[in-house]
Amino acid sequence: MSVTASSVENLAAFTADTVRALSSSRNEPEWMLQKRLDAFAIYEQLPMPARTDEEWRRTDLRMLKPERFAIETALQTQSGTLETILSGSEHQMQFGAADQRAGLSVVSDHGTVWHEAGELPEGVIFTDLTTAVSEHPDLVREYFMTQAVPADFGKFQALHAALWQTGTFLYVPEGVTVDLPFRSFALQTTTGTSLFTHSLVVVEKQAEAFFVDAFQSDTAEEASFTSAVVELFLADDAKLRYVQVQDWGRHVWNFMTQRAILGTDSELKSLEVTLGSRFTKNSIGSHLRGENALAEMLGIYFGDQKQFFDHHTWQLHESPYATSDLEFKGALKEGARSVYSGLIKVEEGAQKTDAFQQNRNLVLDRTSRADSIPNLEIAANDVRCTHGATVSQVEEEHLFYLESRGIPRAEAQKLVVEGFFRPVIDRIPVEEIQDFLQGAIARKVGY
Amino acid sequence: MSVTQVPMLEIENLHVSIEDTEILRGVNLTINQGEIHAIMGPNGSGKSTLANVIAGNPEYEVTEGSIRFFGEDILELEPDERAQAGIFLAFQYPTVIPGVSMANFLRMAVTNVRNARAKRDGIDQKPFTPREFRKLMREKMELLKIDESFATRYLNEGFSGGEKKRAEILQMALLDPTLAVMDETDSGLDIDALRVVSSQVNDLMNPNLGILLITHYQRLLDYIKPDHVHIMITGRVVQSGGPELALELEAKGYEKLLAEFAIEA
Repeated sequence: MSVTASSVENLAAFTADTVRALSSSRNEPEWMLQKRLDAFAIYEQLPMPARTDEEWRRTDLRMLKPERFAIETALQTQSGTLETILSGSEHQMQFGAADQRAGLSVVSDHGTVWHEAGELPEGVIFTDLTTAVSEHPDLVREYFMTQAVPADFGKFQALHAALWQTGTFLYVPEGVTVDLPFRSFALQTTTGTSLFTHSLVVVEKQAEAFFVDAFQSDTAEEASFTSAVVELFLADDAKLRYVQVQDWGRHVWNFMTQRAILGTDSELKSLEVTLGSRFTKNSIGSHLRGENALAEMLGIYFGDQKQFFDHHTWQLHESPYATSDLEFKGALKEGARSVYSGLIKVEEGAQKTDAFQQNRNLVLDRTSRADSIPNLEIAANDVRCTHGATVSQVEEEHLFYLESRGIPRAEAQKLVVEGFFRPVIDRIPVEEIQDFLQGAIARKVGY
Repeated sequence: MSVTQVPMLEIENLHVSIEDTEILRGVNLTINQGEIHAIMGPNGSGKSTLANVIAGNPEYEVTEGSIRFFGEDILELEPDERAQAGIFLAFQYPTVIPGVSMANFLRMAVTNVRNARAKRDGIDQKPFTPREFRKLMREKMELLKIDESFATRYLNEGFSGGEKKRAEILQMALLDPTLAVMDETDSGLDIDALRVVSSQVNDLMNPNLGILLITHYQRLLDYIKPDHVHIMITGRVVQSGGPELALELEAKGYEKLLAEFAIEA
């Protein structure tokens, strides 16, 4: 990656002074500084998650010392052309053609690297989050870490609220539809440090939008820490498609929390793709707050070379007649490990809920392992909830069939693994993203 | 008729086990190019095992004997190498492979097989362009009365029994084998589908091709006329003859036959 840190003198430890330095380098208003400091106090009060907590039972954090990773507090404006930003990172996701996106925002530990928005309908806001804080304070105050992922959500979320450095903000006003995807890239350019990046998307009544988040860095020796929070708001009748592709380098400890709040008759279609990092803890939830809301939650993960992926999902049915449809699929090889645990929670009164949850895992060798723990918590009596989990190997019968048609075993294996993910990939209507995912899976399968 | 001196397929004293149970107990069989052979026998006699072993299914263990294809011992060849050499197995129960589209699979299979054969024959041959391949596939599908939509569907997923069998013949047509082993291709077919499938097989028949039909019933042999009929019981070919043997067997029934050979078996 050609965006390199020119200096690291502003690297600082996790202290209240660091919080102040961050805030001041961004010329933030007093309310944001106060919000950060309050969050930092919560972070300091909360204990590190222990393995006695159900959510962390299978996740070993002993190796992680977040304080070890300093944080860049200064804000630099990057210059250069878009072509040079990703140069040397050919395996990673590209920005896509200019006429195939509604806007592009590239952020890094140094702030906004690149920002462009085409001609957008009136009232649409697409900007980096730091700019949004000063230019659209009312919106940011209302939505930023207040309802979806409040600062007291947990230890890591509180840290994020205190130290967030950069991010992207999208606001689509009532009745407006933007078909092309808004694309946000978060790049980590300095290793051995922390990166806190935030995506905030608000889609108003009867509005429609498509947002693609990509997280990426090149693999480095020294460990790094990343914390991402994604907050998605869908007002009544709103529609949002959200795609996230995580392709951090193999040196990264990655923590991501995503929450969506869905209004009446709204429709969320989300996909999380987990490819990179050495360690990932993803927490992904949808609050079906309005009646008849629909949440499609898809996930793809492919671990290799001892990667550890931990996905927790929540389908939170808070109103009647809502539907959630979750499918997470993963493949593991070369000592990789995955944990999936998903909860369908139906609150009292959320009658006629229709909830589906499926986690399927393909374990490609004996050194790898997948655990899957589906859960139901139902307080209503007229609902339909279905869940299922499988952990399996590539079937010899499939390989023999393909080989008997002249396809060599390695290619046959690739075909079967690609086929395993294909139905999920087919649900993303952007060819460039489909091609990237197919390429990424093919590279992961290797052979 | 072929003028090759070496037989196309020569199976000698073949013994095969699966999980320590011996299923084939000394099979001998020779098939030349241009010949259609039928193997008939009751369930459990080892017919499907023979088909799978010829194709190289790793589930089965060959404990004794040999299979030569144009004089070359193929037991050490991987299944894909056998397919590239010209061996094709039409499966009794074609497997469903989710997420793999028929068109993608067929293109990959045809590309691998053609490339390997061109290399073997020292021919400088360009691979099909996607357009050429689509055209070829559509032609063959039309002949087999397979709906065009099958190309975009996942391999055998949601196919009826008859559709699966037709898809097998489609693969045979595209891969252009020298030896086609057809394992119970008639099972699960209604009479109309049986007609379509057999007429395709008959159309594909040529002086270079040898066919081994494996069937439980005489019915298939009304549509595809064999030159030789073999009867297999408990892992051995117990009787060989011309087409009349199939009719005798039909009249006599398997039970009687089993009783006749019970002592030897």
